[in-house]
Amino acid sequence: MMDTPDSISREFTVENEYGIHARPAALLVKTAGKFSCEILIGKKGYEVSAKSIMGLLTIEGHRGAKLCVHATGEDAGEAMVEIADLFEKKFFED
Amino acid sequence: MAITLKELLDAGGERLSLELVCGEKYLTRTIEENAINRPGLALTGFFQYFALRRLQIFGLAEFTYLKSLEPEEREARLRPIFEKTVPGIIVARNRNPPPELRALAEEYQTPLLRTTMITSHFINECTVLIEELSAPRGRIAGTMLNIKGIGVLLQGKAGIGKSETALSLIERGSSLVSDDVTDVIRNSHGRIVAFANDLTRFHMEIRGVGIVHVPSLFGMGAIQQETELDMVIRLHLYQPEDEAERDGKLAEIDVLDLRIPFYDLPVSPGRDMANLVETTALNHKLKVLGHDAAKELDEKVIGRFLKKAEK
Repeated sequence: MMDTPDSISREFTVENEYGIHARPAALLVKTAGKFSCEILIGKKGYEVSAKSIMGLLTIEGHRGAKLCVHATGEDAGEAMVEIADLFEKKFFED
Repeated sequence: MAITLKELLDAGGERLSLELVCGEKYLTRTIEENAINRPGLALTGFFQYFALRRLQIFGLAEFTYLKSLEPEEREARLRPIFEKTVPGIIVARNRNPPPELRALAEEYQTPLLRTTMITSHFINECTVLIEELSAPRGRIAGTMLNIKGIGVLLQGKAGIGKSETALSLIERGSSLVSDDVTDVIRNSHGRIVAFANDLTRFHMEIRGVGIVHVPSLFGMGAIQQETELDMVIRLHLYQPEDEAERDGKLAEIDVLDLRIPFYDLPVSPGRDMANLVETTALNHKLKVLGHDAAKELDEKVIGRFLKKAEK
């Protein structure tokens, strides 16, 4: 899928030891919630809204898991920058 | 979706008293057709309409027949079945497979399994299990509840108040199946069955409160393992153009290729959403049972108007 300003896809690898457990999930939801765009996150053939803690826990983002993030909407670009930052900083864990 | 023999063995080991005799390496073979075949006719050499995509089961009749043959003849009769590359062979009644059957299973890389069950019971149980395993499944966004016997999936954007509405409904006696993310399968009766992901089951996230464990707070009556999906209710922010939808016409939504009744409920400050969702669910049930309140009222109105109309 080609990126456009309103529709961006990125792949991230989970790097913190405990993966996307409750705290990182809450952090993701908090970040995603700041933006009006739709943000989906998940693995092969299975995606959930990044604005749902319960959803984020079910994607089983353990360390080493590769997760695809799709942001669609006006502020998709800004949202992706902040989400990339969270992954890069290992959700401020480790 | 075709299932592999490994999936069948994992799921049915205990339920079907099934064990592997040989061919562990070949358990990746798939059952292309969801049924079981008794290869009695094929053993006699009749291969028209031979159901080669199905699991093949050898029962008492097949065994007795094979036993009546000389070893070379037995081998010659069995070989064509393996040449058709059947997905797997099952031996019923805990019989020891004859050496020819074993050797051919190895030669043609076909898994050979054994069950202690008698053939007819096994066929029934195994067919049901294959149907279950191969049922279309998926995961959808939404909170699943059983409201007075009606399976309702609550959908809506993040922050619209799904979990809060669910919480009020639980207080009013509904039971929670899953929060925010719901797993669904389409069963062989053509119904959607909804259940929770086993990792997050019976937990809910409520804005400002955090994560709660529903049965610990509200008791076992507040939860349910699974429920059939009867309808989908979407909560959305009230928009002035919603007025057009006042007639309560029934819409439908696609879930695993089944059409499910769908209601779009506008949320605005001061509306008691739990009450509205419950009423929508009960009203839908009434409609299904043949009473359409909106239609009945309209007929009453038209009846009176026709009487009063100027002739």
